Amino acid sequence: MENLVLSKEKLPEMLTEIASKYALFGPIEENGVTSFKHISNSQEINLDYLRSRISPKDLIFQQTETLFTFSKGKEVKVNTPQIDEAKRVIFGIRSCDARGYSILDPVFEGKREGDYKDPFYTKKRNRSTLIGLSCNKPEVNCFCTSFDDSPASMKNVDILFTDIGEKYFIDIVTEKGKELIENLGNLFSKASEEDGEVRERVEQDAINAITRHMNTEGVVEKLEKMFNHELWQKTAMRCIGCGICTYLCPTCHCFDMQDEATLKEGARIRVWDSCMYPEYTMHASGHNPRPARMNRVRNRVYHKFSYFPKNDKIFACTGCGRCIDYCPVNIDIIDVIAKVKEAKI
Amino acid sequence: MVDLKNLIEITKKIVSREDVRYVVGYKKGTYGFQIMPAFAYTPEDAEDFIYSPVCSKNLAVYTILEEKLPLKRGEEEDKRKIGVVVKGCDSRAIVQIIQEKGLKREDLVLIGIPCKGVIEPKKIEKMFPNQTDLIDVIENDNSEYIINIGGKTHKVPKNELLSDVCKSCEFPNPPLYDVLLGEEVEITEIEEFSKIDELDEKHTEDKWEYWKRHFERCIRCYACREACPLCYCKECMADTLNPQWIRRSVNLSENAAWNIMRAYHLAGRCVSCGECERVCPVNIPLMELNKKIERDVKKMFDYTSGLDEEEKPLFGMFKPDDPEDFIL
Amino acid sequence: MEEFEPNIIGFLCNWCSYAGADLAGTSRIQYPPNVKIIKVMCSGRVNPMYVVNALQQGADGVLIGGCHPGDCHYSRGNYLARRRIAVMKRLLEYIGIEPERVRMTWVSAAEGRKFAEVVEEITKDIKKIGPMKKIRRENIW
Repeated sequence: MENLVLSKEKLPEMLTEIASKYALFGPIEENGVTSFKHISNSQEINLDYLRSRISPKDLIFQQTETLFTFSKGKEVKVNTPQIDEAKRVIFGIRSCDARGYSILDPVFEGKREGDYKDPFYTKKRNRSTLIGLSCNKPEVNCFCTSFDDSPASMKNVDILFTDIGEKYFIDIVTEKGKELIENLGNLFSKASEEDGEVRERVEQDAINAITRHMNTEGVVEKLEKMFNHELWQKTAMRCIGCGICTYLCPTCHCFDMQDEATLKEGARIRVWDSCMYPEYTMHASGHNPRPARMNRVRNRVYHKFSYFPKNDKIFACTGCGRCIDYCPVNIDIIDVIAKVKEAKI
Repeated sequence: MVDLKNLIEITKKIVSREDVRYVVGYKKGTYGFQIMPAFAYTPEDAEDFIYSPVCSKNLAVYTILEEKLPLKRGEEEDKRKIGVVVKGCDSRAIVQIIQEKGLKREDLVLIGIPCKGVIEPKKIEKMFPNQTDLIDVIENDNSEYIINIGGKTHKVPKNELLSDVCKSCEFPNPPLYDVLLGEEVEITEIEEFSKIDELDEKHTEDKWEYWKRHFERCIRCYACREACPLCYCKECMADTLNPQWIRRSVNLSENAAWNIMRAYHLAGRCVSCGECERVCPVNIPLMELNKKIERDVKKMFDYTSGLDEEEKPLFGMFKPDDPEDFIL
Repeated sequence: MEEFEPNIIGFLCNWCSYAGADLAGTSRIQYPPNVKIIKVMCSGRVNPMYVVNALQQGADGVLIGGCHPGDCHYSRGNYLARRRIAVMKRLLEYIGIEPERVRMTWVSAAEGRKFAEVVEEITKDIKKIGPMKKIRRENIW
């Protein structure tokens, strides 16, 4: 497909255009915290960010989701809520977060014919067009290149914007993306060969700027033999058991179901849960199969680097670095995996 | 300045004792200015121990955090002591827990450090972003931090990086310790925690607007609770199901209830270490709530937490002449 | 437009305030019907979480009633409650919830008249500031 460019001055115009036709989501900064929110006015958007604090997974896999509502009385009525049908555009998503969606897909959409498809996730996912934004200056804890990805990867987005100075270079990746661009009229101009070269250079510079790397070679096999290794106890000693790593992670997807009710009506809701909490595995009997933090920290690493790759042939980590950045006690997943590789068994 | 050799020597001595299981201290993290809590089981482990102005973490939390795996048949519980490196506020937290009978004094060995205030990690990472290599920070006698980055030395005035809670700290010296490293710090100036007054004078609606903005952002990861040395209930009221005080759904009402009750449960207990605010991933100014209560409690009941382990808890006692101007 | 009738939850202690409310009733003293009474054994039983939870679940105001200082059936319950509610009130005020919504009173078993006056006053105050919306559960799913 032919590549386009958009001058930066025209970006607000484009966003306004999108907002008038679609539900537009983008990064908004509030008190130093960037997260993806619904945008009605293009002024709100903040592109001066690198990695949103809260990953955009919450646009599709919401933190609180109502599954159905019910009423009380002789005849109980159960209603399933209307799922938001609007076509969505998610603007400014980074390649690591877009990759997070593709990791979540097999979980919620099923892998084989006949697998259960979660309607809430599937509908929102299918109706969303992702406009990616390449990272020009990766942060200290970015390591997406360790997963065959790049700061300007086109693998998981529909359209990719790359900042090449005065303008954005636009890669149109999918049919969905093409449709969106065609819908927006003639804001864009053709990309010259020079623009393409600048884009390549920007991507290469960004790749070179990534300083931390994770070597995942053979990790799955190694972990197989390490379940009872002392590394887990050692790492978990300093874990305080908060949910930061799981709540900020673009691929963590555990949830809890709860019934909330008043005297007249109620609802079953789905909320995020975290495997770092002891309540997560607590049985009604009072027995807890993961009684200590050691079991829980181990489980999180195993889920991402052993169970997931065994089931889906992909590591459930995108290299976004959020868990490293915000862990209060510096449990560094790159360091943990490096220690796994070093460990003697 | 804490003499590192001395710290390591003393730690080694304590770890070698037969009645001590391990000592908790600080060691270098994995990148940049990061510091991580370290556990020394043997004298060799203690070699890694450091102390610098970036050691902001409150290690008192590890005295109440340890979860023991279920004992195997014939196995006996390890009842030996735990050693902890404590700054002023950390030590106060421990005093407070002992006061509430959450810990026994004889189960602890405390290595006290007179504290000159710690650096706020968020501030220093903003000033020197994207540091991959480990960096040492030293405080000199002129209230400056000396930071060596890639062969270049930066001198930063202390005030620019100091944690906000440290600026208003009244108790930099640990009230309870077994060994004290270095000399006690003299308190020179204490800044008032001014943010409270600013908000206090505002109109009710403006106050709500301010807090609403913050509470809406809360993702209820409970990092504030887990990082707090004084949040050590076996079952938190936020986790109980019968009755379910706070629903799990994340919305303004539940978030506000959680944040109100978290702050309230620390009334007369909070030692102002600032950990809750430091760990909050969405920057909610939790210390403003804690400081507000601390100030009220001081004013109304002349009570300060964490100074005397024999004192009774604030809400476990009363004076007949407590203020009651609000009673109809 | 219909006048706003506030919902006020009254946590009254078994020994004094509840008996006081009872006396107000048996003496046929007229007072607003807005207070819904929940009897507790002692004002010291009132967990501050009750207050927040009541405000979340639809109360526009909360009244806590105990014995006069020195009269507590359990000798110190009301003193303890006084401390707790004093801190809670100030915290709620700081967060931006009107201080009028959380009130405390001492009513003895003989003060039916006082109980009626207290209820009248708080009902008037809360009518003035209107319904509690800030931390109320919306129950919209």
